[in-house]
Amino acid sequence: MKLSFSAEDEQFRQEIANWLQVNLTGEFEKLRFRGGPGDEHTFPEQRKVWEQKLAEGGWTCVGWSKEYGGRGCSIEQQVIFFEEYARAGAPGRVGHIGEGLAGPTLIAFGTDEQKKKYLPGIVAGTELWCQGYSEPSAGSDLANVKTKARFDEAQNKWIINGQKVWTSLAHESNYCFVIARTDLDSVAHKGLGFFLIKMDQPGVEVRPIEQITGTSEFNEVFFDEAQCDADDIVGAPGEGWKVAMGLLGFERGVSTLGQQMQFQNELDEVIRVAKNNGAAKDPAIRQRLARAHSELKIMRYNSMRILSGQSGSDGGLQKEALIYKLFWSTWHRSLGELAMDVLGPECEILEDAPYSLSRLQSMYLFVRADTIYGGTNQIQRNIIAERGLGMPKEPKGVAK
Amino acid sequence: MDFTFSEDQLLFQESVRDFLVNEVTPERIRASWLTDSGREDALWNQLAELGLTGMTVSEANGGLGMTVLDFVLLAQECGYVGLPEPLVHTVMVAVPLLNDLGGELAEQWLPKVASGEAKVVVGLEQNLLVEDAHVADLLLMQQGGTLYAATPDQFSLCYSESVDPSRKLFTVELLDSAAPVASGEQAATLIARTLNRGALGCAAQVLGLAQRMIDLSVHYTGERQQFGKPIGSFQAVKHHMANVAVRLEYAKAPTHRAAYAVATGQGVAAHAVSHAKLVACEAANLAAKNSVQVHGAMGYTWEVDLHIFMKKAWALANTWGDAGFHKTRIGERVFATDAVLGAGATFV
Repeated sequence: MKLSFSAEDEQFRQEIANWLQVNLTGEFEKLRFRGGPGDEHTFPEQRKVWEQKLAEGGWTCVGWSKEYGGRGCSIEQQVIFFEEYARAGAPGRVGHIGEGLAGPTLIAFGTDEQKKKYLPGIVAGTELWCQGYSEPSAGSDLANVKTKARFDEAQNKWIINGQKVWTSLAHESNYCFVIARTDLDSVAHKGLGFFLIKMDQPGVEVRPIEQITGTSEFNEVFFDEAQCDADDIVGAPGEGWKVAMGLLGFERGVSTLGQQMQFQNELDEVIRVAKNNGAAKDPAIRQRLARAHSELKIMRYNSMRILSGQSGSDGGLQKEALIYKLFWSTWHRSLGELAMDVLGPECEILEDAPYSLSRLQSMYLFVRADTIYGGTNQIQRNIIAERGLGMPKEPKGVAK
Repeated sequence: MDFTFSEDQLLFQESVRDFLVNEVTPERIRASWLTDSGREDALWNQLAELGLTGMTVSEANGGLGMTVLDFVLLAQECGYVGLPEPLVHTVMVAVPLLNDLGGELAEQWLPKVASGEAKVVVGLEQNLLVEDAHVADLLLMQQGGTLYAATPDQFSLCYSESVDPSRKLFTVELLDSAAPVASGEQAATLIARTLNRGALGCAAQVLGLAQRMIDLSVHYTGERQQFGKPIGSFQAVKHHMANVAVRLEYAKAPTHRAAYAVATGQGVAAHAVSHAKLVACEAANLAAKNSVQVHGAMGYTWEVDLHIFMKKAWALANTWGDAGFHKTRIGERVFATDAVLGAGATFV
């Protein structure tokens, strides 16, 4: 055990800090502290340009190996990268689904051709991705996917029909990875395929969903005879579930580091407000702020503990990682409540009309989604109890 | 950066765990409740033979020359079995204090601690009473700003019964013949460091206790049938255990981080220890609460072993600084005007 950074790592810290100081200026200045979760709808165009600016500096996909266009950073350097990125207030990444989920999945499960075709666009920040998992009848019961994929021999293409929902950033994305049923007689997690689908085509329609924040960052996506090439399937037909679950492992791996630094910025803001308006003198508020600080530290330590335990750092899902979603989502929801209690009566008053929320108000509302998407807290507890603790499974009904 | 334990450390943990689980059974603990001292020389000698009593004693003094970081996983295992013997106290509290005091006192007593011949016990004013003073061959005792060393002829004891029948607690009165061994700034530093190690020992032990309560509950709810199914299959029951599992898993990293800070003398040790003690005790308290609940009425009986572990966790939560004490220490840090908290302060 060694809980400190080496001199080389600190030199790396200087490098990224300097780069951000020089480049997060001018037209990008207004992006500071914007575009995080709950704020993804802001400045989409400028943030796309920022994504490419990062790429020019070699600061996208920093944890990917150089073979795939990444920077080949160690876990330590990635920790530092995310720390400095957050400290500078650099904006929420529009490319995070490609960099954090699609890319690592392709690296782990994709063919050489798929890697050549899709990874460079992610690294360059020019091609954005979204995730097509949930459907109207496949929420907590994710395997109950009804979207169909059939192979058309004549066109040598896969044809996709069905509907996805809660698809974040679909309206900004160039590609969507979609789980769809390749064996129409199959049920549950068998008989699925994992497809890479271009969004800009006649068979794909995106309809925004207005959220309780009054803004839209997720969507319904309709596939009506949408197409992809014969080799735009990751893994074999029938292996889609394996790939889809492998991807969820990446969601709880390195990408947690960036998320936590976003949380740190939010907490810093809440503490700043509390010190300014005197709420920090209230013993009840103080306790909650100190608890929020302690629990965020726990998340940081635990991520580092899990990550440094992976000698190969393949991002695979370990047992400890099962619990992460439940912990962070509950923490974040509490932070939202705390932020409003710190603001006091003024928490009700919006920043501007029509319906323009402040950063903290937006966070307070958005965190309501955290305990639901990506597996509700109740589903997470089932998984922890059954897979983590080995408790008996609840008998399942038959899907209709 | 490396947040993992070495293979050697993990192997040591495994072998100590095997030993303790085999030797320190709930039946043996219940039997010890019926004896006068509640302590067994035979068991202590076995622990000494394994090198455990001398883990933090230097090699020159007949020990293994290791640190509290090497011991923290073993302290968890002591908690797991509810070990009544003061092993955690010896390795994490008493020996490091003797190491810090040094001189003749250390040279005289450390070899005997390593060999199992003698027990050294520490009493701080932070604690209401002194644990295991009745088996102490040497007592290191705080009185105001001074630390005293006293042998059994130099103190008198008054016994208090603990909610945990395995814990033996005493009010200590030092006689005039007790010798001062540190005072002033030196004593203050030693007392602060000792308190941190004691709290760390509690944190590590309650992690083990929480794990034991989870294991007992998972086993029980897998066996116990109602409505024609094991009750553990019901979400209302399993979610209780999932909540504990999350708290427990997430209390490990802060505890290990605190052990690292204490062992390496990092300046943040006090804060790291308070963090660890708070979250570990919270996890154990939740484990106790939810484990009783999922055991149904059986959890309320003396017969079921659950209360052995539950009561120790409750007791440890309120020694070496209670929740209020440790929360205050964290609060002072978080709300300091020059607080270093955000990005870049991961290990600060």
